[in-house]
Amino acid sequence: MNHKRIKQITAILLLAFLICATLAGCGKEGQEGTSGAAGQNTNGTKTEAINTENGGKESAMGRFLEEEIDTGIVFGTIYDMKKLEDGTLRIIGSNGDDGSKGAWDSKDQGASWEKAYDFPTELQDSDQGYSDRAALSSDGQAVCAYNQIQKGGGILAVLYLLDQNGKASRIPFELPSVNTEGAMSNSFEVTAEDLPDEEPENQAEEDSQEMGASISNLIMDIQFLGNDQVLAKDISDNVYQISTADGSLRQTYQFDGSMESHQVYAAGKKILVFSNKEVLLFDSETGQQISTEETLQKGAAESGFFQAVDTINQGESVYGVARGGLYHYKFGGSVMEQLIDGSMNSMGAPSFYPIVMAMLDEQNFLVAANDENSDSPTGIALLKYTYSADTPAKPDKELKVYSLYDNREMRQSITRFQKDHTDVYVNYQAAMSEENAVNVSDALKTLTTEIMAGKGPDLLILDGMPVETYIEKGILKDLSSMISKEGGYFENILHAYQNQQGQICAAPARFMLPMAQGGSADYKPGEAFDSFTSRKGVLAGMEPKYVIEKFWYTCGAAWQKEDKTLDVAKITEFLTSLKNAYGEYDANANQQGMSVSFTSDGNTGNTEEIKKILFSYGDFDLAFGRTKVNIGLFAKMDYGMLSAVNNKLKDGSYGLMPGQAENVFVPSMILGISSKSNQPETAEQFLRYLFSHESQKISQSGGLPVEKEAFRSVIDGHQYQGKENLVCVGGSGDDIDEILDYAMVSTPEEEIKKLTDLAESVDTPALRDDVIKDAVSEQGEKVLKGEITPEEAADAIMQKVNIYLAE
Amino acid sequence: MKKTYQLIKARRSKITASRKSFQGFLWILPSFLGVMAFYLLPYADVVRRSFFGAVDNQCKGLENYRTVLENTAFLLAVKNTLRFTLCCIPALILTALLCAVIIYRSKYGGVIKSAFLIPMALPAVSVALMWRLLFHSQGMVNHWLSRFSASGTDWMNDESAFWILVGSYLWKNLGYDIVLWMAGLSGISENIYEAARVDGAGEWQCFFKITLPNLRSSFYTITVLSFLNSFKVFREAYLVAGDYPHESIYMMQHLFNNWFRSFSFDKMAAAAVLESLVLLLLILLFQRALERRNDGKEC
Repeated sequence: MNHKRIKQITAILLLAFLICATLAGCGKEGQEGTSGAAGQNTNGTKTEAINTENGGKESAMGRFLEEEIDTGIVFGTIYDMKKLEDGTLRIIGSNGDDGSKGAWDSKDQGASWEKAYDFPTELQDSDQGYSDRAALSSDGQAVCAYNQIQKGGGILAVLYLLDQNGKASRIPFELPSVNTEGAMSNSFEVTAEDLPDEEPENQAEEDSQEMGASISNLIMDIQFLGNDQVLAKDISDNVYQISTADGSLRQTYQFDGSMESHQVYAAGKKILVFSNKEVLLFDSETGQQISTEETLQKGAAESGFFQAVDTINQGESVYGVARGGLYHYKFGGSVMEQLIDGSMNSMGAPSFYPIVMAMLDEQNFLVAANDENSDSPTGIALLKYTYSADTPAKPDKELKVYSLYDNREMRQSITRFQKDHTDVYVNYQAAMSEENAVNVSDALKTLTTEIMAGKGPDLLILDGMPVETYIEKGILKDLSSMISKEGGYFENILHAYQNQQGQICAAPARFMLPMAQGGSADYKPGEAFDSFTSRKGVLAGMEPKYVIEKFWYTCGAAWQKEDKTLDVAKITEFLTSLKNAYGEYDANANQQGMSVSFTSDGNTGNTEEIKKILFSYGDFDLAFGRTKVNIGLFAKMDYGMLSAVNNKLKDGSYGLMPGQAENVFVPSMILGISSKSNQPETAEQFLRYLFSHESQKISQSGGLPVEKEAFRSVIDGHQYQGKENLVCVGGSGDDIDEILDYAMVSTPEEEIKKLTDLAESVDTPALRDDVIKDAVSEQGEKVLKGEITPEEAADAIMQKVNIYLAE
Repeated sequence: MKKTYQLIKARRSKITASRKSFQGFLWILPSFLGVMAFYLLPYADVVRRSFFGAVDNQCKGLENYRTVLENTAFLLAVKNTLRFTLCCIPALILTALLCAVIIYRSKYGGVIKSAFLIPMALPAVSVALMWRLLFHSQGMVNHWLSRFSASGTDWMNDESAFWILVGSYLWKNLGYDIVLWMAGLSGISENIYEAARVDGAGEWQCFFKITLPNLRSSFYTITVLSFLNSFKVFREAYLVAGDYPHESIYMMQHLFNNWFRSFSFDKMAAAAVLESLVLLLLILLFQRALERRNDGKEC
């Protein structure tokens, strides 16, 4: 009996313990959430803990704030920027207005600038040569890499030392020759003066061959090491340590070629070589390699490639700017510290490429960067970062933005928005990336779970998502009050998703135009789909999958009947017509691989697959006769290339792509606010910003803006104004003989009008339903390859799509 | 006096019985709480949701049920699921029984049994990959067929997809059912067989008169488990053919999966309630039928 009682008591105690332990576990998170503590960064910037207004939750304070400096000078190039020993800030570069080169000083930490000196005339005479790199020392000297044009042709790399007042003297150093084979880039810009007017194409080829043969070596990067030595990197990535006094070569650092795209920086007596893989350290006095501390190696690997580096304490520590933000590392330290999160300012923007940074002190620094979306006409921006102890380390409000594919316009807009709204942290998540193996279906299921759990995004980029289903289910808020009703927008595009009640639950911030280009025998602008596809073989040479995908946009919209089901007769007609226009499939010809366009479309954020349906992907194939026409989605204007291809075809022209539906556009960057958003006001504020002129004029090839003024600014080629002497020479990459050169000029007014009229004429949004598109693409590819008949394919499509539509 | 004693005794025994049942309840309480938290309460929520809108939570009465019953995708999925179940369950149970009897008598039974269990250990992703390699329109099966000058087909995009799914289910679950049957076989005393043989019974008579009747309780368990396992075949079908496979292998889980993605929680809830009711009814009927047979035998 006694035994039984003991058993009962033990069981009850164990049960009580189990329940207590479970409850204690549940309460742990709350305890952790309130245990935030004050701290201090290793670079001396304090973080404090204060109570915010929201229920006493503690948050750390202190953050670097970004500000773009209006220098009053349009810099064409910035070679280097340095804080001199006397506290003056100096920039060496060129003036974008007149191309003159010189140095500018600022005595007030970058607020105002005045000319220190101009380069000597012998270094600015373009007939004699050109200087394309320079560096500053902390005592105000400058070293300039000058490429001297030789009398018999060819270029000789020479180093000039400029004293504090700009007086130049040649450093008696001869750059060793290297084998230049394979070192030349296959694309470059040259000035029109280099090319005679007649037969520019052939002459360009000759010049390039001649240059390749006569250039023995070039200086690709230059840095001061202290005030009396320089580090010069040549085209073979050899680094020479040279005395500025007598030009003597102190050390040579050679690499085995296993490292790619490395950058060389000096920090005190150490030389740092950053590559995309690792960091190498050298002692400049002995020339010996020093073992790289594990913390530095690991930190650099995590932070990414350092694009600009500076030091303030004789090289005891280094500051570096990478895509992830600003990093600080003290040699011998145990941690590489992230001082700035790049996602909260311009550093993380896709178009932001730092050129040089200058630390003023621990709490202030400047970065000169190349940013094609900056307000500067030349794209050179000067940004100042100042530590603000009163600003929360992480903004109070978190706005969640979600998309399936990475969107560069969104990233760019976020950095600009956050700059003006320091209390908002925009957390942008692109569900599908190259790193993860998530497919659309899995991503959407996760999104559904998050939204229903109340942890979903506030703002959605709906590209690739079932927009109409979301609208029907009430997932998206009505945006009609948020979108300006005043003119200035392409209303036909902006209201693509307006329902019968006048609600706009989703609105495209951008759009793409399905376009075609070809010679008069193969394409006539404005012609009907039947007429275009009646030409047998007009689409030959293209990849079947992408032919179907491209025409899906201009035809899919015509397939849907009033009851939302698909018209099988139209699908059969679509496949039959395309098969006729495609002709016989030649597997061998297609495997030779289509060329990759020289003109970069940027990354539309999606994968390579999406690039292949863009209009600019096929321009070289058309120009060099691999295809008869070029078709695709027009997302960015490159008038130079467009006209060059037309000229090459002799009688080429471009216009809207033929299709079963007329006047089709492809909505892009379709925006919607979640009806379950936790930050509806902030989401609304951000959405208004995304439709503002400032955000709309950002161009990263993700589509044309719906705001008319911004639309004009991205197609007018204003960036080429005053640069009429620049000629772009591009090659397809496949064949060295395939070179297309064209002047980089502004878009003529009649072409701007033509495109604007086209944008105003389109009124049918393309069907953007990935399930139907995938089914059509899969079966259509088989038809073009001749594996099945159009009727069989149409049946297979209908079988799959019917289930989908029935759901 | 004697009566009083009996009353006290009866009362004591009643108290003891009630104490024992209370103790029993305490022992199952943690498990019951788990079932309550993870099954019964969510199920109650599903039942509630089946009468409400998906996102707006407005009462819709029986509208969701009407929508679901008129939905052709739902009807197709029900038809395919029933067809699959009716094809697979009898085939699996009978094949497994046959194999179990043979293996049970074999001296290498242990090894063979383990071999049959290997498919269960294989991850679904590997199986799906193998399927793709085999049954793709340019896969290995078509390649082999072409060697014999036979024309291949796009196996996963025509009616053959259904039979491939059936084959996959049988291949994967056969070992498990064999083990269950063998457990049942080992429970039959050898003395019964010996007695029957002494009375002149042959092998077939032993099988039909002794083995089968004694496996009745195993039959119930195996049928129910096989039935529930038949729903798991969705994993392979999904991994091979995605959200929208050939219509012959479009199952209930495909529909639920797609409805979840498009926020159709209202339709999902109604369909889930209908499905669970049908399943419960089938299992209860099956159990009842077996009990009746047992009762009839005992009488």
